[in-house]
Amino acid sequence: MPRISVFARLANGIVAPKRVIEGQATNLSRTMHGIAYDAVHDEIVIPVALGGAVLVFKADASGEVPPLRAIQGTRTRLVRPHTVAVDPVNNEILTADPSMRAVVVFDRTANGNVAPKRVISGPRTGLLDIVGLDVDPIRNVIVAASRKGNGEKVGIFVFDRLANGDVEPKQFIGGPNSKLAHFRQVTIDPVTGNIFLAQQNTRMKQMEAYVLDKPREGFKPKEKDKDDEDDDSDSGRLDQMGFIAVYAPDDNGDIPPRAIIKGPGIRLAGAAGVALNPKKKEIITVGGNGFQTFLLPEFFRALKKPGATQE
Amino acid sequence: MRRIVIPALAALALLLAASAPSPQASAARGRGESADDTALEALLASDCVDEAAMELQQAAGRLPQEGGVASDEWPPHAIGGVIPPIRSVSDLFPTFDGIALDSENGRVIFSDENRHSLLVYDRTAGGSSNEPTEPVQWVFGPKTQMGFVAGVEVDPPHREFYTVNNDGGDRMVVFTYDDHGNVQPRRTLILPHQSWDVSLAPKRDEIAVTVQQSNAISFFKRTARGTDAPIRTIRGLATELEDPHGVFFDEAHNELITANHGNWTQIRPYTPYDPIVTDVGEYKSGAFHPSSITFHAGDANGDVPPLRRIEGDLTGLNWPMGIDVDLTHDEIAVANYGDSAVRVFRRGDRGNVQPVRVLRGALTQIVGPISVAIDVKNDELWVANYGDHTAVVFPRTASGNVRPKRIIRNAPKDTPTCGFTNASAAAYDSKRDEILVPN
Repeated sequence: MPRISVFARLANGIVAPKRVIEGQATNLSRTMHGIAYDAVHDEIVIPVALGGAVLVFKADASGEVPPLRAIQGTRTRLVRPHTVAVDPVNNEILTADPSMRAVVVFDRTANGNVAPKRVISGPRTGLLDIVGLDVDPIRNVIVAASRKGNGEKVGIFVFDRLANGDVEPKQFIGGPNSKLAHFRQVTIDPVTGNIFLAQQNTRMKQMEAYVLDKPREGFKPKEKDKDDEDDDSDSGRLDQMGFIAVYAPDDNGDIPPRAIIKGPGIRLAGAAGVALNPKKKEIITVGGNGFQTFLLPEFFRALKKPGATQE
Repeated sequence: MRRIVIPALAALALLLAASAPSPQASAARGRGESADDTALEALLASDCVDEAAMELQQAAGRLPQEGGVASDEWPPHAIGGVIPPIRSVSDLFPTFDGIALDSENGRVIFSDENRHSLLVYDRTAGGSSNEPTEPVQWVFGPKTQMGFVAGVEVDPPHREFYTVNNDGGDRMVVFTYDDHGNVQPRRTLILPHQSWDVSLAPKRDEIAVTVQQSNAISFFKRTARGTDAPIRTIRGLATELEDPHGVFFDEAHNELITANHGNWTQIRPYTPYDPIVTDVGEYKSGAFHPSSITFHAGDANGDVPPLRRIEGDLTGLNWPMGIDVDLTHDEIAVANYGDSAVRVFRRGDRGNVQPVRVLRGALTQIVGPISVAIDVKNDELWVANYGDHTAVVFPRTASGNVRPKRIIRNAPKDTPTCGFTNASAAAYDSKRDEILVPN
């Protein structure tokens, strides 16, 4: 159901949301795989994949309310925006569109049929199925999580914040030692620059039988494997379980995370999304039909290289 | 380094416990030894007023610091590990989604998006009890291959029922009236991603399946299985299919009746295995249109316009979900999620028309309806609620703000619904101290 559910931070157990944004006037659709809160302007930014749009709501919106602004139209070139980030310092909204194979940057106040300010796309970028995005206005970087089907360039791409066009990332985290495979949302702790990534499981995204509504030419279903029946959810096997991975802002290459949350708690959440409460040192993970909150002050400090003594 | 390693089953049990009514608070709380604990103590004291969360944290602290978890050695030297949450929000009960009614055999089948199951009830089930209604049959478990299921259909002559995985496994799974428990489907048909509803055309021996992201209806032989391809597809700009949901194949009038949310985009391939498509001809941007009910010819194929449509302010359509058609009384019932109503139109309606009846209001206990089913034989109307752990049954011609005849519950009365499934993102609102979860 396309809706934005809002819960009290201390919600626990089987609880109803405090308020919900939903209904025809909202223009929301399913596949909202990103969301950003702009604390400076008190706004919510959300991608609408099935409407080729990015919407902005008042942060206290409730019920069936129209968005304050909608970025949509031929000049936007948007097709299926999947995830978003907001940069209140530089007044920009960023979205990643896997159908465009691009990261697209708009003015924060853009409304209607407007052209992007910058577009990061092309073979040198390595971007393909971009599922996570955030921006760090302090360190001036854009962090994108992107997947490729052949296993190459599956990971975290870090670009200069002002990158434009077909440019190479300045850093890339991925490879067999990283175990990065089937991940989604990425978010940055603004204080430390630590990069948090939600990974659903350690199996690469499986090829689907269809390209949209057309059968994929030459597709052969895998030999039946009960653990692969649901590619988007955790298999229940501890060795394939998803996790929350945390990296230092300057991490680069085929490296494991410096900090991790894994285990049954993450399994229940599926670890598709991750959000941070830096003030309370809480990490919120979401996935499947629930969300969990972890209290980990040490994840909100400068992370030492693995093996070094933590301050 | 503070590293909490606990056995998987213990943590799972703790999480389940966290979802139960809050236990009594305990004064004692386990503590570690690192310098982090001062900060941790302060944070817990100020924030973890929830008693279940406190219990969880305490229990984790008492567990032995042992290894043995399969992947515990990875990542080497990292901080963290297998850590229990301090709070956990999830709905442990089913949520009704699609309905399929077999009035001849007195069965009603619900798809359950939350727990990934099919629940079968006796047609006369339910009443005024506050307790959950016992299903007579259910299909549930990893063998069933069910994910985030949506539409459901029943085929009484073949004693089969189907459901469509809208996400988490792109397929339709077929079970028989005799299947029960954690069983494999009798057959499985791979479908396009984001398929939502299925409708059976018995005379044609075909099924019609709506596909949200492609704005399409795909048709298959009823007995199709595996990777069998669709025999035809209605798709394209002219079709006016826009985020289609419920579908009904009206063989009597040779029409396809489809509920549309109104979202549209000229989608291109996007998965990591798909080609990069840049040549799309004239680029059509995304659009938001009003919700609608479209009527296509039963033989339509390709990019063909609808024969007619119901759309406009007077209709009150607002995120129409499942639909059902009463061919005896020539009416269409629509589960109108957006205003928690059931809206009934004449089958031959077109344009901006008012419904002939609206069932809506606090007395109805219709909350976020996902599907409807008309029981002509017994003169009843069924409604499945997503916004409550219930389905409600009315006289077929009920109108206005009236009480249901019966209530079917999948959880004890007043159990909240968390109201999201398969969420993939979150944000934290620091001003209001709130967590935002989009679906």
